[in-house]
Amino acid sequence: MKRKVLSVLFALTMVVSMVACGSSNATVTKDAEATETKTTQTENATETEASGEAVTIRVFSNLADRTTGQGFVEQTLFDNYMKENPNVTIQVETLDDEAYKTKFKAYASGSDMPDLINAWGQPSFLNEIIDAGLLAELNQDDYADYGFISGSLDGFSKDGKLYGLARNTDVMGFYYNKALFEENGWEVPTTYTELLALSSKISDAGLIPCSMDGSDKWPLSIFINDLMQKIDPASKAGIQDSIANGDFSAPVYAQASDLFVQAVDAGLFQSGFETTDYGTAKNLFINKQAAMFYMGSWEMSMASDEVVPAEVRDNIGVFMMPTVDGGKGTVNDIAAWNGGGYAVTSNSAVKEEAIKLLNYMFLPENWSKLCWENGICMSAQDYSAYLTGSETPVQLEFTEVVSGATSVSGVTLNDMGNSEFKTISEDLSQELAIHAITVEEFITQLGEASK
Amino acid sequence: MTKLYSNKWVISTLVLPGVLTFIFAILAPVCLSVYYGFTDFSGIGEMNFIGFENYKELVKDSGFWMSLKNSLLLAAGFIIIQHPIAIIVAATIDKMQGKAEGFFRCVYFIPNVISVAIIAYLWKFIYNPNFGLFNKLLQNLGFEGNINWLGSGNAIWSVLIVLIWHGFGWGMLIYYTGIKNIDPVLYEAAMIDGANTRQSFMKITLPLMKPVIQMNITMAIIAALKQMETVYLLTAGGPGNETQFLANYLYKQAFKSYKYGYGNAISVIFVIICLVATVVLNKIFADRDAQGGKA
Repeated sequence: MKRKVLSVLFALTMVVSMVACGSSNATVTKDAEATETKTTQTENATETEASGEAVTIRVFSNLADRTTGQGFVEQTLFDNYMKENPNVTIQVETLDDEAYKTKFKAYASGSDMPDLINAWGQPSFLNEIIDAGLLAELNQDDYADYGFISGSLDGFSKDGKLYGLARNTDVMGFYYNKALFEENGWEVPTTYTELLALSSKISDAGLIPCSMDGSDKWPLSIFINDLMQKIDPASKAGIQDSIANGDFSAPVYAQASDLFVQAVDAGLFQSGFETTDYGTAKNLFINKQAAMFYMGSWEMSMASDEVVPAEVRDNIGVFMMPTVDGGKGTVNDIAAWNGGGYAVTSNSAVKEEAIKLLNYMFLPENWSKLCWENGICMSAQDYSAYLTGSETPVQLEFTEVVSGATSVSGVTLNDMGNSEFKTISEDLSQELAIHAITVEEFITQLGEASK
Repeated sequence: MTKLYSNKWVISTLVLPGVLTFIFAILAPVCLSVYYGFTDFSGIGEMNFIGFENYKELVKDSGFWMSLKNSLLLAAGFIIIQHPIAIIVAATIDKMQGKAEGFFRCVYFIPNVISVAIIAYLWKFIYNPNFGLFNKLLQNLGFEGNINWLGSGNAIWSVLIVLIWHGFGWGMLIYYTGIKNIDPVLYEAAMIDGANTRQSFMKITLPLMKPVIQMNITMAIIAALKQMETVYLLTAGGPGNETQFLANYLYKQAFKSYKYGYGNAISVIFVIICLVATVVLNKIFADRDAQGGKA
C-alpha cells in the first residue's frame, strides 16, 4: 500500500510541478535561448574616476539580436551610457518576443523583476501589469521637450498617469519587390479588387503573391483591422465598446472579415501561410519567392541589411492596404500604432537610476536619431531634424505615408482587450483563414471571447 | 555501529534532507497547483477562490477536448505503430551481429540525440509546401500541385509522424536491451527443436519481453500526454487547435492567456488522466499475468 501511495505521489509530481514551478520566482531558471549580455566597462575609467556609487541596472529586452536592427541601437545606447557614467553597469537579458512574454510573466509573478523592461503599450499586455502595481509612474513633464508624437504615449498611460515610453511608430504595409513588378508589368494596386487580381497574375508567373506570417496569428488580426480602416476609419472608436459589451454586430467587422477570407480564397498568401512563421515568411520575400510581404514598418531595415541580397535590398518599396469598394476610408487611413517601448519596475532597488537611463535613451539625439540614421525604424518621436538625405527609398515612403495619414488605427483590435481576448481573437483569425469557422461564427465567437 | 543506526536522531538526520526535498520541491508545488486550480489567479496580482468554476469551464472547453483527443491519438499511434515496429527492428538488429548491429543501433537512435528545436525546424522545412523536401520529391515524381502538410486536415497526421519518428529510437533501444537479456540458450534449444525465426520470436522473445513492453507502453502513454516542445515549435498547436496537445494547451492558457488558475486546473485533470492510464495499464498487464499463471 505504502509503495502505491509513494508511486502515486511521484507520478503526481512529474506532471503538476510543470505548472506549479512557474509560480515561484525561486524556480525561475535561465532559458536555454536566453542570452545574457553582461556588459562591463572596458575603457580606462577606473574606480577613482567613478562619479558615484556603483550601480547595476538590470534590463530585460525583447531585442535578442544585438548587432543589427533595434537591438543594435539599444546596445549602442547602453554602451554609451556606461561610458558617460562609469559607475553604472548595465546587465542585459534578451529573449525573442514570445519567450520574452513567457519569462516576463515568471518575473512578474515573483519579487525580483529587472529594473528596466520592454513593454507593449497595449491593454492586452500592459493593463494587468499596471493594475498589479508593477510599473513605476514616470513624470510626464520630463518628456515635454522629447518630441514624442502626439498620442504616442497614450498606450503607456492609464488613468492620466504615464508608465512607459513608446519606442517606435509602427505602420503595417505591403513591402514589394519593385524590380519584379517592373519586369512583369505589374502595377501597385490602388483598390482591394486590384490587389486580388494582381495576386492571380503573380501566381501565374510562378511566384507567391504575398508572404504572410500566419503562425504568429497577430498579422492576420492586423490585416482584418487594416481592412476595417479602409471600410470605415471611424470604426476604431467603437472597438473598445464592442469588446466591453461583447457585441461585434457592427457591419464593419463582418465586412472586413469577409474581405480577408476573399484574399485567402484568391490565393493572395502562400500555400501553408497559416503555419508559416515570421522568419520563413520574411525569407520567402528576401529570396524572391514572394513578390510582396505584409509586415510592419520595423522591417524597413531590410533595405539596409547587408544580409539581404542586393537585388532585393535595393528594390524594396512599400504600399498601404488599398481602398475597398464602397469603403469610406482612403489609402491614407492606415493601420499604425505605437507598440513596443520601455517601462521601469516599481519595486526596483535602483528605480531612479533606471529612469535616468530610460530618459537618456529617449533624448531625441539618441534613440530617434540612431534608428533613423541606420535605416532601422521610425521612432515615436519627431525625427525630421535627423533626415540625412541618404535615406533608403522605403524609409522615405514610410515617412510620406505617416506624414500624409488622415487617420491611424491606433492599438489594433487584437490588443485592445485583455490577454485572454488577444489569444482567442488571434486564434479565431487563424481559424477563419483556414475556413474552420465562418465569418458569422467568427463574429459570434469574438463576442463570446470578450465576455 | 548497529547502535548508531538504531538511534532515532541519527535516522532522522539521514532521512531529513530527502524528506525536506520531497516536501518543498515536490509535494508543496503539487498542493499549490491543486489550490491554484480553484482560483482565478492570472499569475500577476490578486486572486480569488472560485471553487469548481475552472473545472466547469473545462468541461465546456472545446480546445481542451481537442487537446485530449490528440494526446490519446498520439498514445494510440505510439502503441499501434511505433512500438510493434520498434520490437521487430530491435529483434532484427539483435540477429545482425557484428558491425552492422552497432551501425543500425546508432542510426535508429540518432533522432533522439538531436535537439528538439532542430528536429522541429528540420521537419518544418521538410513539410514546407513552398520549398519543402516532400513536395519537391513529389514534383520530381510528376505530381502537380502543393500539398500543405501542416495545413488543415493534414497537420495532425504530419505531427504524429514526426513524434512517432522522434521517439522511435528510445523504444527500440529499450526493447533491444530487453532482447539482449534473454538467455541465448533458449533460442538454441528452440532451434534444436526445429523452431523457425517467427516461432522463436512469438514463443520466446515476446513472452519474455512482457515486463519491458509493459514499462515501455506505460512510458509511451505518459510521453504522449506530456507532449509539448516538439508540437510547440512545429505548429504551436495550429492551425486553429488542430494539433493542440494537452501540455501545450495548458501552457497556452497559463502563460499566454494569463489564466494561471485555469492552467493549473488543466494540470490537475492531466495528472488524473495520467494516473488512470497507468492504473488501467497495470491492471491489464496484471490480468494477463494472472491468466498466464493459471494457464
